[in-house]
Amino acid sequence: MTCAEFQQELPDVLEGVSSAEVEAHLSSCTLCSELVSDLKAISEQASELRASEEPDPRVWQNIETVLRQEGLIRGPQSERLFLVTPSRRRWGPASWLVPPAAAILVGFVVFLNRPVFNPVVQKPTQPTQVAVSTPPNATAATNSEDDQQVLSEVEKRAPLMKSVYEDDLKNVNSYIRDAQNSVDQNPDDGEARQYLLEAYEQKAMLYDMALDGSLP
Amino acid sequence: MGTMQRAVRAGLIFLFLVCVAIAAIAETKKEYRFTVGPKASISVLNQYGPITAKPSAGSQVVVTAILRSDKVEVDHDQSGNRIGIKSHLLAGANAENGRVDYEVLIPADASITMHSLTGPLRAEKLGGDVTLEGAGALVDVREISNVHVHVKTMNGPVKLTNIQQGHVEISSVSGDVTLSSVSGPLVQVSSTSGKIHYDGDFGSGGEYSLISHTGDIDATIPTDASVDVTARSIRGQVENDFPFQPKKHTTFPVVAGSSFAGTIGKAASSVVLRTFSGKIRLKKR
Repeated sequence: MTCAEFQQELPDVLEGVSSAEVEAHLSSCTLCSELVSDLKAISEQASELRASEEPDPRVWQNIETVLRQEGLIRGPQSERLFLVTPSRRRWGPASWLVPPAAAILVGFVVFLNRPVFNPVVQKPTQPTQVAVSTPPNATAATNSEDDQQVLSEVEKRAPLMKSVYEDDLKNVNSYIRDAQNSVDQNPDDGEARQYLLEAYEQKAMLYDMALDGSLP
Repeated sequence: MGTMQRAVRAGLIFLFLVCVAIAAIAETKKEYRFTVGPKASISVLNQYGPITAKPSAGSQVVVTAILRSDKVEVDHDQSGNRIGIKSHLLAGANAENGRVDYEVLIPADASITMHSLTGPLRAEKLGGDVTLEGAGALVDVREISNVHVHVKTMNGPVKLTNIQQGHVEISSVSGDVTLSSVSGPLVQVSSTSGKIHYDGDFGSGGEYSLISHTGDIDATIPTDASVDVTARSIRGQVENDFPFQPKKHTTFPVVAGSSFAGTIGKAASSVVLRTFSGKIRLKKR
C-alpha cells in the first residue's frame, strides 16, 4: 500500500476502522503513522476543551464542513465534530487558539489528500505544465490572521517573547512555503513531502507553545 | 578630612549591608518532600527561572525552591505517584520578581516534565523519561541512558551530552542543537533555522534524523563509524570527508555537491541529514 492509498483510507483509520493492509502500512511508514498520531492528539486535546471557553460554534462547523467536503469524515452530521468536556484547565483563556492549530493540521491533511499527480501521464519535458495547484485550505495554514492572533495573545501574556515568536513564525512560514513549492514541483519526491510535514510540525509546535501553560 | 572619609565609607558599607539584607529577606527558600512509589511522574512548571533535576537516593522527591519575592508562590500537589509543582504568579509579578529557582531530586526510575519560559532547564544522571519544554530556555541534558528524552524550544539552545541508547526527539524552531556522544535506537532533531551539531559515532543500529530548514548541519564521526547515510541540501551544499559506497536507489535525485547517499562501514545505523538552504558537513573526527 502506498502513502496515497493509505490517505484514502485515512477517514476510516481515524474512526478506528482499519484493515490488515492499513495496519501494515502504518507500522512501516513513519510519515503516515506520525500523521495519524498528530491528528489523534489534536482531536484528544480538542476534546478537553471546556464548554464555557469554546470558540464560536461556526468555527467547528467550518472545520467539519471542510473535512466532509474532502471526504475525511463520513456518516451522519454530528452535533459537533470535537466533543467538549468541562475539564480543560491547561490552556486557560487561550482556548481560542486551538482552532487555528487544528486548522493547520486539517489544512495539511487536505493537502495530502489532494489528487495526486500521476507520473504516467506526465510529459517529462514539460514538468512545469503539470504543477499541482495548492488548495486554499493549505494556503490557509499560513494564514497571517491566525498568526496575528497568536502574537497578540503572546504579547498579552509574555510581552518579552513577542519578537521571538514573530521571528520564528516568519521563519516557519517561509519553511512551509519552501517545502510546499518543493512538493508542488516534485509531487513524487518523498523527501519533499517529509520536509512539508516537518515544517507543519514546527508551526504546530509554535502554536502549542503559545497555548502552553508555561507562558505566564 | 580623614574622619569624614571614614564616615562616608562606613555609611556606604552600611547601606550595602542593608541592601543585601533586604534582598535576603525578600528571597525565600522552601523545601517540599514527597514519598512516591516506583515509576513516579513529576511535573514542574516555572514561568521564570531555572529548573534542575538530579537523582535522589531512595523513594523521595525533594523540591527546593528559591522564590525571589512575595509576588510568586509555589503550588504543589500529589496524587499517588504523580506530583505537580507549579509557580503561581501573583498580581504585579514580572520576570524578575516572579522568578523561582528550582532544584528537584527525583528517584532513579521517576520520569519528569519540566516547563520554563526562560530556563535554563537541566537534567542529569536520571533513569526515567525526561521531557523539557521552554520557549527561550537553554536546555542541558547529560549522562542519561535507556530513556526517552523529549525537548521542545523556540529559540533556546539545546545541548545533550552522553545520552546512550536513548529515544531522543528534539524540536527547536531557532535554537542551535548540540549533541555530544548521543546514541540510541532513535535520535530525531528538527529545526527551522537552528544549527545542528552532532559529535559521536551514531551508535550501532539506530535511526538518526537531523533536519533543519535553513540551519547548517555538522556531523563529526570517527573513521570506524558504521552508517547508511543520506544527506541532501536543496539549495545549499554538502561536504563529505568519508569514502563511501554509493547507493543505487534513492528517494531523491543525487546531485553532486548538494546531496549524497551511501554506506560507510557495515551501515549499522541509518542517518538522514537534510536541510533546505543550510550546509551539511560530514566530518572525520
